[in-house]
Amino acid sequence: MCANPGRLAAVGGRSSAGTLPQEMTASPDGLALATHDLRKSYGSRLALAGLDISVPTGVVYGFLGPNGAGKTTTMRLLTGLIHPDHGSIELLGRPFSGRDRRRLFDIGALVETPSFYPFLSGRENLRAIGASGAPTTKARIEELLELVGLRDRARDKVSGYSLGMKQRLGIAAALLSDPQLLLLDEPANGLDPAGIVAIRETLRHLAAEGKTVFVSSHLLGEVQQMADVIGIIAAGRLVREGSITELLHGADLVRVKVAPHEVASAAKHLASLPGLDRVEPSADAGWLTVRIAADRAAEVNRALADAGIYAARLEAGSDLEELFLTLTADEAESHEGTFQGIATPTAPGDDR
Amino acid sequence: MRIFLSGLRKLQRRPATWLTFGILTGLLVMIIFAVAATGGEGGQGGGPDGPDPLTLVTFPLAYQLILGFIVGLGGLFAVTYGAAIAGSEWSWGTLKMAVARGESRSRYMLLTFGAVAAYLVAGLLFSFLIGVAAAFIGANLAGVPTDGMNNADALGALPEQFGRGWFAMAEQGALGFAVATLARSQLAGIGVGIAFYFGEAFAGIFLPDIVRYMPFNVATSAVGLGGGGFGAGPDPLPQETAMLLVGAWLIGSLIVAATFTERAEITG
Repeated sequence: MCANPGRLAAVGGRSSAGTLPQEMTASPDGLALATHDLRKSYGSRLALAGLDISVPTGVVYGFLGPNGAGKTTTMRLLTGLIHPDHGSIELLGRPFSGRDRRRLFDIGALVETPSFYPFLSGRENLRAIGASGAPTTKARIEELLELVGLRDRARDKVSGYSLGMKQRLGIAAALLSDPQLLLLDEPANGLDPAGIVAIRETLRHLAAEGKTVFVSSHLLGEVQQMADVIGIIAAGRLVREGSITELLHGADLVRVKVAPHEVASAAKHLASLPGLDRVEPSADAGWLTVRIAADRAAEVNRALADAGIYAARLEAGSDLEELFLTLTADEAESHEGTFQGIATPTAPGDDR
Repeated sequence: MRIFLSGLRKLQRRPATWLTFGILTGLLVMIIFAVAATGGEGGQGGGPDGPDPLTLVTFPLAYQLILGFIVGLGGLFAVTYGAAIAGSEWSWGTLKMAVARGESRSRYMLLTFGAVAAYLVAGLLFSFLIGVAAAFIGANLAGVPTDGMNNADALGALPEQFGRGWFAMAEQGALGFAVATLARSQLAGIGVGIAFYFGEAFAGIFLPDIVRYMPFNVATSAVGLGGGGFGAGPDPLPQETAMLLVGAWLIGSLIVAATFTERAEITG
């Protein structure tokens, strides 16, 4: 695809995901982005039903939600593309309304699919985009083409670009004005694995520089690796927000992988642990989910060893996918059109 | 100014610019050469009492006929061109990019139209020059004298005719621009623009007293050169009245485009 896809990360540097920068807790005013009781309807369809989010300065914020939860509507509201029915938005510590468009000069955004003039080259598109809003320089354009690994293809027409290349160009466009706050809607969409890694590194680097990155994504594993803070919305409302470390490690569960033929035996032995809620064999072969305080993982391991069963892997706390599905399950069930997938046949008596 | 200059650069690279210019100029040149090649024996326009076809390559009248052709048929091209430029800003999502960067919506659209209007001037000028060159060649082919090319009166009238012609084309371009903005679509804008053009011509047969105030007819009246777009239509308005109405349609179209863009929810 690209001659040098890894160059997206050329600016280097990475701070550890899950460790919040000082800015997050330094000041109660240290919010890069906040919404208060934000509501929006399209005709009779309610898209946002009072959204309250708080994005600390200098973090990567993962904005998650099922399809139709209101993520893109939120992005559109934050960039002034649509107007809220009710509620308020604060960008970089100051109220934002559609009339105060210059607030967006400090913000870079990639909303939905990247949009370009197909008959212009990548470089010309960046120049055309840079002609509106905050001024930019030719040097900045060249720097960004290098950063996103498109310098060798910068003279080619965008109509010939792949989806991933357009996505890279979209990220470059969002970075044109060297924004303090970056709003990205599915930035990894269409990127190859190297591109996904590169964008993760780049976004981490921007956060390490003190900039704030607000990322909407469906790639939960990716968000888990890159985000400091997450907000999960469902049916237009925030259902959980907090540091990813707290949310994942706060869950009372331990996941254990044993040999598939030992799952039943392991479940039986673990069931006798005091203070245990329950043991659930997971869908993945050999995995058990033990509902017990995460700091008792060693006890789980010892109980298995005492029974002559040795854990191949042991994970304390939840993962983002499990947390996401748990938090959004109730909302999903109450909404028509939710993708159900292919139902896994269950054995008689299996009440999972 | 940055948006206007960027608009000029974009339009210079845009295939629609060259396609529109190429078709209009190609038609003009083809007609001139056909007239010259047949020596005017292809028949008289408008019946036995109509003008001699060779007047198209006979100077100084050729100046007015060529300009009349460009401005007349050019109205159709202007409306489709304006619609293509405005519609693509919505269809391609490039307006969305500008708005998300904090750009003023109405300013962006008005300056984009400014670039369209600048290209209409250039298109009018270059089409005319190519048409005159073709007429000169055609005159030589047909054995028509070309000494009328230096007619001072005809040459002296050209700047004003150009100004009126450009103003009329800008009005028609603005109409297409506004229609495509309302439709938020390039294709819908072009389609509706063309439908307006021919619809107005058709309606002129039955409602001449109303249609003479409509945008394409006032444009034709304002230029006062006849035109290639309509056949028998409503009686033309006095030229100065028509100019005022062209201005009203132009400003009205731009106000509609700017206001709609300012208030629109950009969801695409």
